Amino acid sequence: MSHGSIIKVPFGPQHPALKEPENFLFEVDGEIVVDVKPRLGYNHRGIEKAFELRTYIQNIYLAERICGICSDAHTTCYTQAIEELLNLEPPPRARYIRVIIAELERIHSHALWVGIAAHEIGFDTLFMYVWRDRETVLDLFEMISGNRIHYAMNTIGGVRRDIHAAMVPKIIKGLDFLEERLKYYLNVAQTEQTILKRTAGVGILKPKDAVDLCAVGPTLRASGVNNDVRADDPYAAYDEIPFNVITHSGCDVLSRILVRCEEMLESIKIIRYASDSMPEGIIRVQVPTKVPQGEVVSRVEAPRGELIHYAKSNETTKPERYKVRSPTLGNIPALCKMLLGGYVADIPIVLAGIDPCFACMDRMAFVDTKKTKKWVWTMQQLRRKYAKK
Amino acid sequence: MGLDYATVKEEICKKMTVETIVSMLKILVFPGAIFLFVLAFFYEWVDRKFFARVQNRYGPLYTGPSGVLQPLADFLKLLSKEDITPRASDKLMFILAPIFFLALPLTMLFVIPILSQTSLVAFEGDFIFILFAFTLIIMTIFLAGWSSINRFSTIGSMRAVLQMLGYEIPMGLVTVGTAIAAKSLSISRIVEWQSLNFWLILLQPLGFAIFTICLLAELHLVPFDLPEAETEIVAGWRTEFSGRKLALLRLGKDLELVLASALITSLYLGGAQQFWLIPPIVTFLVKTTFAVMLLTLLRAAFARFRIDQMLSGMWKYLLPLATLQIILIQLGLGR
Repeated sequence: MSHGSIIKVPFGPQHPALKEPENFLFEVDGEIVVDVKPRLGYNHRGIEKAFELRTYIQNIYLAERICGICSDAHTTCYTQAIEELLNLEPPPRARYIRVIIAELERIHSHALWVGIAAHEIGFDTLFMYVWRDRETVLDLFEMISGNRIHYAMNTIGGVRRDIHAAMVPKIIKGLDFLEERLKYYLNVAQTEQTILKRTAGVGILKPKDAVDLCAVGPTLRASGVNNDVRADDPYAAYDEIPFNVITHSGCDVLSRILVRCEEMLESIKIIRYASDSMPEGIIRVQVPTKVPQGEVVSRVEAPRGELIHYAKSNETTKPERYKVRSPTLGNIPALCKMLLGGYVADIPIVLAGIDPCFACMDRMAFVDTKKTKKWVWTMQQLRRKYAKK
Repeated sequence: MGLDYATVKEEICKKMTVETIVSMLKILVFPGAIFLFVLAFFYEWVDRKFFARVQNRYGPLYTGPSGVLQPLADFLKLLSKEDITPRASDKLMFILAPIFFLALPLTMLFVIPILSQTSLVAFEGDFIFILFAFTLIIMTIFLAGWSSINRFSTIGSMRAVLQMLGYEIPMGLVTVGTAIAAKSLSISRIVEWQSLNFWLILLQPLGFAIFTICLLAELHLVPFDLPEAETEIVAGWRTEFSGRKLALLRLGKDLELVLASALITSLYLGGAQQFWLIPPIVTFLVKTTFAVMLLTLLRAAFARFRIDQMLSGMWKYLLPLATLQIILIQLGLGR
C-alpha cells in the first residue's frame, strides 16, 4: 500500500448524512478507507449533572428527554433503577403496559431507521413509504398517551396511564396493517437488486470483533450473536412472554436491515400476546420521595441496543451520581471496525447502519491524552476561557 | 420594365425584414427559447409532482393550480438570493459554467422537431452534433466542479466524468441504430421516416431501453445520481453554487430533462407527428410528458449504485447489449 496517496477526509460535524453533529476523520487511500478517527462530544448536554440537580420525580421527565426516539427505554431504565433502590416492584399490569409501550417504540424506532437507511442509499421512495406507515404507530401512541413521541407513560412504581379494554382492538387493528406492510418491506429488502448491491457484504463486522468491541443491539445480532437484554436479563414482563431473539449471520448492512425488519414483526407478536394476557389490577403504587442509600445498575434493551443507567442515592430526594451509557456509545468502536477497508461511498450507509443517536451519547471530559491527566472545569472557568476568544 | 430599382429594393427589404422577424420570433419565442423555458418549468413540475405521487406525497401544492408555478417561484427566489463566489475558486470558469450549462441544452433543443416534422435548425449531421453536445455538457459539469475548489465538488465532477465513460458509448451505439434505420444523420429525417414507417420503439425495443437507461445516467437521476449523491457528497459538483448561478444550473437541468424527453420522443416514439386533426405540437407534448413520467418512475424505483458498480454494470451489460442491437439491425431486424 502506498502511503504517499493517503488523504484525510473529514466527515462531519456538518454533513447531510449525519443528522447530528459528530466528526469522523477518514484516512482514504483512493476509494478505500484505511483509518477512522471518531471525535465525539460535539453534542454534550450536561445531562448527568442535570440529573444530580433534580428530584427523583423531576428526573423522570429529564430521562424521557435524553432521546427523542427511544424516550420510553430511558424512562423504563430510570424508573427500574429507582424502584430497585426503593426495593419495590411495580404492579403486574404496569409491567405488561411497559412491555407494550416498549415494543411499540421498537417498531417506531426501527421503522424510522429503515427509512433513513433507504435514504442513505438514495432510495427515497422506500423512505417515504416506511415513514408513512410508521405514522400508524405514532397514532397508536397518541391514542394511548396523548403524545406521539414523549409518551410520559412510566413513573416510579408503575405507569401513569392505563391501556383500556377499548384501546386494545384499535391497537390490534393497527398492528395487523403494520404486519402486512412490514412483510412487504422485508420482501423488498431481500429481493430489490439495488438494495442488495449497496448493502450485501458492506460494513462487515465479524462475530468475534462484534463481541470483542462490545457491540450492542441489532448491530451485534446482525453479526450472528444471540444477545438481548430482554431474554438474558428479563425486566418488566419479558420473563412471562414468549418471543424469539432475531439473529442473522450475514455480518453486513443487509443483515442489520433484516434483523430490524424481523424484530419489528416479533414486536408485533409480543404486543399481541401482552395485550391478550394483560392481568387486571392497579397500575401504580405510591412511592416515598426520599430514596435510601444505595447503588444500582439498570439495563434495558432499547431499540438501538443495550442501555445502561447507573444511579447512586444518598437518602435525599436527589441522586448523588447518575450515569447513562447509551447504546450508540457501545457501538462506536465496532463502527470504526466496520468502516475500515470499505469504500468511501459506503460510509453513509455503514454509519447509519448502527442507528446512531449522537445526542443521547455525547458526554464530555477534559483529558490530556499526552499526560494522561483528567480535570473538571467549573462554569466560571469555562466562561472565562471562551469569553476571551 | 415598369419597375424601378428603388421599389424592387424596398420590396425585397420589406420581405426580408418580415422573414427575419418571423424567424427571430421563432427562435426567441415559439418554439424557441421562451417556449422551451416554459416547457422546462412545466416538466420540472410534472417530474416533481409525479415523483411525489409515486411516493405517496403531495408534491408542489400551493403556488398556482396544483403547484404548477412552483418551479418558476423557486427560480425567481434563487435569482434574488445572495450570489457567492468562493475566494479560492477559478472565477472565470466558475462564472461561465452555469451559462454554458444553460446554453448547451437550449441550443441542442433547436435541432429537435417540435412544431412540425422539421426542426428550427435542421442539417444533415445534427444527430452527431447532439451526441457531441452531450459530452460538452459533462465537460461543463466537470469544469464547474473543478473550478469550485471544494472537496465535494471535485469528487462530484470526477464521478460525472467517470460516469460518462460508462454510459456514453452504449448511448452512442444504440442511437446510431436509429440513424441506420432511417438512413440519415438528421433528427428531422429520422422523425419523418418514422411517420412513414413504424415507430422505432416497435422495431428496436432493446435500443429504447438502453437509451432510457443511459439518459438516466446523463441526467444524473437515481440510480445514477452519483455526481450529486446528497448523503455522500452534499450536492456534488453544484455544492459551491448559489443565487443566480444555481438558478441557471437548475434551469439548465430542467432544459436537459426537456431535451432527454424530446430525444426519446424523436428517436423512438415518432416525434412531432400529425395524427388526423391533432397538430404535431400536441402529439409532441403528449409524448414528451410520457417520456418525463417514464424517467421519473424509473428514478423512484431504485436505490443509488456505487460508482464502481455503475461502471462495471455499464461495460458488462449495457455495452454488449447495445452491440447486439446494432448486429440485429445489420441482420435486417429493426429497420
